[in-house]
Amino acid sequence: MTFAIEMSSQPSAPSINPPTLSGILRALLRADLTVQLRNGRALLLTFFPPLAVFYGLSTAKRGAQLGGAIVNVALALTLGIALIAILGYTASVARDRELGVFQRLRVTPAPTWTIMVSRLALQILSMLAMSVVVLVAAAVVENVRLDPAAYLLTLAMVIFSSAVFLGVGQALVGLIKSVDTVNAVGRLSFLPLVALGLFAHSTIFGTTFETIARWSPGGAVATLLGGAMQPAAWSADTWWALLASVLYAVVFAGIGIRWFQWSPR
Amino acid sequence: MSSISETAPQRLALQVENLHVSYGSKRAVDGVSLDINESEIFGLLGPNGAGKTSTLSAIEGLVKPDSGSIRIGDVDARANPAAARARMGVQLQSTSFQSNLTIREIVRLYAGLYGVALTRAGIDDLLADVHLEEEASKRFSQLSGGQQKRVSLLIATIHSPPLVLLDEPTAGLDPQARRQLWDRIERLRDIGRSILLTTHSMEEAQAVCHRVAVIDNGKLLTVDTPAGLIEKHKDDPRVRKAAHGQVTLEDVFIGLTGSDLRD
Repeated sequence: MTFAIEMSSQPSAPSINPPTLSGILRALLRADLTVQLRNGRALLLTFFPPLAVFYGLSTAKRGAQLGGAIVNVALALTLGIALIAILGYTASVARDRELGVFQRLRVTPAPTWTIMVSRLALQILSMLAMSVVVLVAAAVVENVRLDPAAYLLTLAMVIFSSAVFLGVGQALVGLIKSVDTVNAVGRLSFLPLVALGLFAHSTIFGTTFETIARWSPGGAVATLLGGAMQPAAWSADTWWALLASVLYAVVFAGIGIRWFQWSPR
Repeated sequence: MSSISETAPQRLALQVENLHVSYGSKRAVDGVSLDINESEIFGLLGPNGAGKTSTLSAIEGLVKPDSGSIRIGDVDARANPAAARARMGVQLQSTSFQSNLTIREIVRLYAGLYGVALTRAGIDDLLADVHLEEEASKRFSQLSGGQQKRVSLLIATIHSPPLVLLDEPTAGLDPQARRQLWDRIERLRDIGRSILLTTHSMEEAQAVCHRVAVIDNGKLLTVDTPAGLIEKHKDDPRVRKAAHGQVTLEDVFIGLTGSDLRD
């Protein structure tokens, strides 16, 4: 039954069958995927910076002091994940909220959680795609080749790592309404979150700084990803990094979801 | 405007009772009760900040009322919001859609959210019906104001809801686009839909609404047909003071809500 047919017909019984959850999720995911693929800036932000950082760390004279090739890959992945979550995701959510896109979606039968889950799922997919590209580049450029199990473990840990930074992003965009402020705070918080992680495996600035860096969100994620790429060297530190990542994700996402502001006003 | 049959038994499409909505310490809706019959176009008139949009937002489930009941047909909207939303179509005051989607993709998204299976040809038929077939591949932001309103109305009615809520549907439109939209609203009524719309336009209220209510400071001041309102309030000194000659609906509105400017 279509609107066009109805408009030319006599009074008819309205269709009031509630949609299925799978149908709602399918519609949202398809639309969000289309939006993601059409956004050239987001695609550039997804793939270029982590590759540039990996190349920079690999060629820098003191790059080895940060922990070697595996750590360089882990840091590039950490940066890529953080960029997508803290700058890309927050900007798109803040902009759509400002435009009223969420309010329009919320007056449909779609449960509100499906609106967010669809977007978050797409972000995780982007991060996995970015990770595959970085891992391929690492294999080609730096000859960093992993066992199949290590590749799988790395991609699994990318999902955990995504949860950390998406949680931070969710908290940021959930608590701040203004698009400009979200963008500004995103940029300001990005550096400490990620830059600290760069020194999670380096004593360049002393052991105290290294400890702080190691347990920062960026440091925990870098340790986790580095451990996943070398399953044989998976240690107690890696387990602690996994635990810290889960805690960061739960706390930040909990704050961001609990106090999320759907309306810009 | 065709009138509702006086003798036909009326069933309620929407029943709101003693609705209260607050934003912090500010009471936006203060004990509003209203009923909308099947196949009725009901207008909610009020100055800026009177509580029109807050009333609609509570019915739509966008804001949580402090108290009161809302029934969409036989569904308790507060107890079962998803089922209620499946039974209503909504056009928000300022609507936007994902900026990177085309009109065709937007229609497909919302059809999916309402559980309406549509082929590409089906979507194109819908767009042709609202004279937007040429715009199917454009973005929402590339459309004119009138075209955007037509897309919004199409999406609000894509699942054939018994109740349609329109928040200032013709605001910012030129006379031609406004008349076209009125025709569409009346056609919806003709196929059995009930419509609750808010408007600042007395002309619109008189042209399309069977009944109108005047709301101010969160309270419903009066409800009747446009002609009934004029008849009921024509001798009110405040209305007489506002009138320049024969009393109009606008005189009643100004008389009841005052002539002070609102934000």
